[in-house]
Amino acid sequence: MVSVMPQARPARTKKRVRSAPYIFIGLAVLYLLFFTAFPLLTGVNLSFTNSKLLNPSAGSYVGFDNYTALITSGAFMKSVYTTLIYTVATVIGCLVLGTASALVINGFLPGRAIARTIMVLPWAVPTVALALVFRWIYNDTNGIAGDVTQGLGLGQVGWLIDPNYGMLAVVIATVWKLAPFVMLIVLAALQSVPEELYEATRVDGADAFTTFKQIVLPQIAPTMRVVALLMTIWSFRRFEIIWLLTGGGPVDATTTIVINVYRQAFNNGNLGLAAAAGVLGLLLSLIVTVVYFFVEQRATKANGIES
Amino acid sequence: MIGRRNLSIGVRSLLALVLVILAGFPVFWMINTAMTPVGDLYSNNQRIIPDFSRTLNIFQVLVSDSPFLRWLGNSALVAGGTTLLSLLLACLAAYALSRYKFVGKGLMTFGFFATQMLPEALLIVPLYSMFMTLGLLNELYGLVLVNTAFAMPVAVFLLKSAMDTVPYEIEESARVDGCNALTILQVMFIPLIAPSLAAAAVITFFDGWNEYLFATTFIHDTANWVASTGLASFIGEFTTPLDMVFSGAIVFTIPAAIFFLLMQRKIVAGLTAGSVKG
Repeated sequence: MVSVMPQARPARTKKRVRSAPYIFIGLAVLYLLFFTAFPLLTGVNLSFTNSKLLNPSAGSYVGFDNYTALITSGAFMKSVYTTLIYTVATVIGCLVLGTASALVINGFLPGRAIARTIMVLPWAVPTVALALVFRWIYNDTNGIAGDVTQGLGLGQVGWLIDPNYGMLAVVIATVWKLAPFVMLIVLAALQSVPEELYEATRVDGADAFTTFKQIVLPQIAPTMRVVALLMTIWSFRRFEIIWLLTGGGPVDATTTIVINVYRQAFNNGNLGLAAAAGVLGLLLSLIVTVVYFFVEQRATKANGIES
Repeated sequence: MIGRRNLSIGVRSLLALVLVILAGFPVFWMINTAMTPVGDLYSNNQRIIPDFSRTLNIFQVLVSDSPFLRWLGNSALVAGGTTLLSLLLACLAAYALSRYKFVGKGLMTFGFFATQMLPEALLIVPLYSMFMTLGLLNELYGLVLVNTAFAMPVAVFLLKSAMDTVPYEIEESARVDGCNALTILQVMFIPLIAPSLAAAAVITFFDGWNEYLFATTFIHDTANWVASTGLASFIGEFTTPLDMVFSGAIVFTIPAAIFFLLMQRKIVAGLTAGSVKG
């Protein structure tokens, strides 16, 4: 076990384990073990018990009962479905809107700095403030969204009280907040596309769409895949924006897995069942991550680029 | 650049204008609502052009007898505590990751990244019973402790990539002079990575400032509420005038918005560093 400074000269290499790096990183590692790894294991342990919120330590082991109950219950499976719908809609919405915004704002534009600042602004607004303003916009008697739908002849839409519109309302608010984040990342990636590539297509007389598909997209594809993974994982665990806008309603229309976990734990007091639902949710994001790395490896091989 | 060559600037300007209106509208509406008398809000009478003579009304929320100022103060304490604790732990961890080879390094790096995947909603159940046992419920420093666990890994990635750019020669000479690693970190690294340190400070500060889930679950005593929980408590409650609620939301948003806009590039780098490079 040799531990050396990365570029240390051979004379400085000592055949002993240095304690310094472990002391430096140890504090942070112990901290995370105590505040995330330990609760995670406790959570997994809880998921095999029938513990209640009022007296968490009084539960007894029930084996896989919680998991069987969840998988056979329509409510939990519906929350998995709702999570997937929410995730797919927000990830696609953010990627499309974010990339389009980046393409529009990339390069010279009059008032570009101001436009860019305003376009990033939604991302900087705290979720609680965002929820307050969207609740007012969506308000079913005085909200401006209602004025717009009435103006369009669609009548008054109960954005937050009609189960058919609850999910759309939440997705719109989420995309509004997170598309700017995608825009910033794609913008950075666009700026690293070599100028010569554009020159080549210009000589060929390619139109904007062909240039995008053949030149720009392959260049920014790796970045987009990373962003897609991040957005997907974040969507699986996103809580605040949904909770504050709809609380999982109307009539469970926006009850994702994490909303389900929280309600089960803090409204119904079933810690065991809540923990089991949380573990299943975590497994789902693990699967996505594994699939991502698999796809990423194949893409890397196909392109012949070393990662 | 695709546009510069192939789409006319006019078309792009038009598209940019549409996007700016879409992106800016909710913030504009927040400001507009704060400037509208409550009576007009509920009679479907909200003006499209704000009444700018009422600008100062927004800040009355700070001097009124509402507990809002106290909640903002609590938020600042929680956010400040989160920043200090996160940066202390992250600086040391990032130094180890950047400058040493050691057994378990890969595993620990993965561990830092993995925390980003954990749903708070799963951890909050065991954390709640842990905090109950330790007597940390209802305490602001309890929020500092839990926020740090989620904010610190991002700071580690950000600081590690900053430290990677510091040349080795600098510390070699210091080492010859007999300085130990901790002194080198303090005296040589901290000044050199100051911009990234500032970015990490802003990111962790606003993790603490914006956080809602733990705050609403762990703190029951209204005097110890932070601004996010205080503001959220106005949802579905009709006694506080709406213009006042939105004034509070604006005052709560302003510091976060300013720092995010100033630090946007650094923040993106920090959030993606772990996954892109790790």
